Amino acid sequence: MTHEFRYHAPGSLAEALELLERHAGDAVVLSGGTDLLVNIRSGLSKPSHVIDIKQIPELKTLNYDGKNGLTIGACVTVNEILSYEPVAESYAVLQAAGAELATYQLRNRATAVGNIVTASPCGDMSSPLLCLDAEVVIVSRNNTRRVSLREFITGVKTTVLAPNELVREILVPPTYAGAEAGYKKLKRIKGHDLGVIAVALVKHGGLFRVGISSAAPTPLLLPEFAVGTPPEEVQDAAAAAISPIDDVRCTKEYRAFMVGVYIERLMSEVGA
Amino acid sequence: MKRIELTINGDLYRRDVHEHRTLLHVLREEIGLTGTKEGCGAGECGACTVIMDGLPLNSCLVLAVEADGAEIETVEGESKDGELSGVQQAFDRHHAVQCGFCTPGMLMTIKDLLRRKPKPSRAEVIEGIEGNFCRCTGYEQIIEAVLDATGQLEEKGEIKHA
Repeated sequence: MTHEFRYHAPGSLAEALELLERHAGDAVVLSGGTDLLVNIRSGLSKPSHVIDIKQIPELKTLNYDGKNGLTIGACVTVNEILSYEPVAESYAVLQAAGAELATYQLRNRATAVGNIVTASPCGDMSSPLLCLDAEVVIVSRNNTRRVSLREFITGVKTTVLAPNELVREILVPPTYAGAEAGYKKLKRIKGHDLGVIAVALVKHGGLFRVGISSAAPTPLLLPEFAVGTPPEEVQDAAAAAISPIDDVRCTKEYRAFMVGVYIERLMSEVGA
Repeated sequence: MKRIELTINGDLYRRDVHEHRTLLHVLREEIGLTGTKEGCGAGECGACTVIMDGLPLNSCLVLAVEADGAEIETVEGESKDGELSGVQQAFDRHHAVQCGFCTPGMLMTIKDLLRRKPKPSRAEVIEGIEGNFCRCTGYEQIIEAVLDATGQLEEKGEIKHA
């Protein structure tokens, strides 16, 4: 790493938010670092201050109860989510998508909050969390606000976060706990890779919802469908919603085609 | 500069490090433990895998200051009194080392895998090393070495050790 910065490791959220306020615009928040440190190394990010939030106990919260659903604190790693029993029991789509996120080593550092804050079109946690109506709790020194994930991600790697704000946690309502679900990620190789496209499907109470990654500037959530809807109808809705691009991984035509294929496969596997 | 303490393979090291230095660079350049390798520097290849507080991770994506107070295991801790570890000996028997660049990271990933799954199936070994690239493409030998080190080849009668 050639770019130099000051490193802070505050022990409380108040202290972290104070630092973020003081250095707003010239500070970045560090948790897993699996995107941030790559960006600093490549020169994409040149902060003067790096605020490591891993010493803040409340950001490690990982909790589920039937009334409030699932709370995922900012410093909870993907492997911690995967080994948390309520997730395995009640949020099959997070379990399936988390296991597809990078490698075991990376998942020991990478966080779900970091994944949505990075707001990559291919973020593995985004489309499943969209299907689950997740909300994001945003804090700054003087304010706390809740934003739906749908509004949180605004474009390719952009969010509604202001420079003095950080995400404290993700809230997953209990609405879809126990829902049958699936996540399919198309990759160039069998091992770990960024997704060519990915589709999440969550079935609940006679309805099902479909989330799509890597086929538009942001991960997408389609309107709900009734179980038994012909796949062609869902595929048409997807085709109208996506705006895929050509890149090093494949062409836009292939992306569009495979979104349709994965929708049909998931509908058949999950029984939608 | 910040003063940090690292316990590496049981030995305590204190160093004053620049805040932007990675754990990988401090291990290699400040402490002189050059077994851990830098491949991509971006968390893709796994050559820099070390075990930190019981979890394998890419040391190129950890700041040295983040590791302050941590227990680190690196490849240098594998052999004891000049004797290679069981997995290292199996790597030797199966020619699981060609250029050797991926080997230190591979060994640390496998060490952690065997802690979690003492007798991994072939599929579990393949999945277990997904975060470690071998560009000599010697995966088959590496997988065989892990199955052998865990006694599974001998059990199947595919191999017999004296």
